[in-house]
Amino acid sequence: MQSSSLFSVGAKAAAVAVALFVLSQPVAASPAAEQFVQTNVQRGLEILNNQALSKDQRQSQFRAFLTTLTDLRRIALYTLGPARRTATPAEQNEFVDAFRDYAFAVYGAEFAKYSGQSLKVTGSLERAPGDELVRTILVDPHAPRGQEPIEVDFRVYDTNGKYAVVDIVVAGLDLAITEQDDFSSFLAQHNNNVKALSQNLRQRAAHVRETGQI
Amino acid sequence: MKGYVAVLIAGLALSLGGCASTQDTSGANDPYESTNRKIFDMNMKLDRAVMKPVAKAYVKVVPEPMRDGVHNFLYNLDLPVTFANDILQGEFERSGETFARLTVNTTLGLGGLMDVATKMNIPNHTEDFGQTLAVWGSGEGPYIVWPFYGPSNPRDTAGAIVDIGFDPLTYVSWRSKFWYMAGRGALNVIDLRARNLDQLDSIERSSLDLYASIRSLYRQNRNNEIRNGAPDVSNLPNL
Repeated sequence: MQSSSLFSVGAKAAAVAVALFVLSQPVAASPAAEQFVQTNVQRGLEILNNQALSKDQRQSQFRAFLTTLTDLRRIALYTLGPARRTATPAEQNEFVDAFRDYAFAVYGAEFAKYSGQSLKVTGSLERAPGDELVRTILVDPHAPRGQEPIEVDFRVYDTNGKYAVVDIVVAGLDLAITEQDDFSSFLAQHNNNVKALSQNLRQRAAHVRETGQI
Repeated sequence: MKGYVAVLIAGLALSLGGCASTQDTSGANDPYESTNRKIFDMNMKLDRAVMKPVAKAYVKVVPEPMRDGVHNFLYNLDLPVTFANDILQGEFERSGETFARLTVNTTLGLGGLMDVATKMNIPNHTEDFGQTLAVWGSGEGPYIVWPFYGPSNPRDTAGAIVDIGFDPLTYVSWRSKFWYMAGRGALNVIDLRARNLDQLDSIERSSLDLYASIRSLYRQNRNNEIRNGAPDVSNLPNL
């Protein structure tokens, strides 16, 4: 073979390899989803930092804000796992309410500890059209020295131009998966009784609100 | 002799790890669940009675710079194990980072007390033989809760044992070595527990079934470590 055709074969092979490599990477995508997260992080921080409000007012404003930001119903129904299919619509609705109550009580306790942290968007990955993972790092002025910054990923769904957060992954730990595993175990021990699960969530929410502890 | 034992254990791990469990119907790959739960409860009682109070006292009494120094020192002692596993996984760039970190912190960092490497922007990671086995293709196997040591599985347990063989200090003998090893082990436990006080409280606060939550978190954390923190986009849940 002449050297020029060897070269062109090599060049073609390299081009194919590059193309395959590019296609196999998750598509780095959606500046719009990144903007959605960054803007809302800012808005959330403004609420948490608003010293003009009382602590209770800040908490309830933040709660209202989170409700517009997230698709809590979708998250709640996911955490039901297979029991979702056997639950009646009434049981499902009751569960979604109980889940909302529980999530705000339990995670509200976390936000109450807020002291100057913020999130910085570092990029995004597309899983499918309208299904993005926006990556951020937690900037914590009080973190112990030498600790690696914590990565917080937001799973964002885009339905007809309206964005909503449907899951959060903190340091590789997926909130929806963890809750689903927890609830599945509970349901397995309680005969798949979704009503009992809803009741337990409400009790736990009440307990956390009263005592601030387990 | 130690080498043969290591190979035997690795082989056992690989075979147990690859086995699909036939007794477990819940899909959680936890065929020893009833025993695991009993051991888990025992561990939690021990934690409440001993580890947590000791860790809280440690945080209260020892100033943060000193606690950071202790953490840096202990972390530095474990770097040879990370280095060995970086190489075994073919992660040569990461092995370079580990080597740089070990060298810089041992010398400029005064025997590991100061984390000079982070200030020099040398990235930070840990590896162990359990992760290496995973990278080589071993499945995790059924969930196991060990007394005192806590959540694990055949692969990670075998890995931890093999890592003892990778630690250079295993081969050095000196007087009072036993007390050194015991002290290092105890300090590792206190250091780790002190750094996780708030996080474990949060998990207890939110869990309906703490055992199931910890099982889920242990596995997710291990998989995250095996992927070296890269997001697993294709395996995200379908909400």
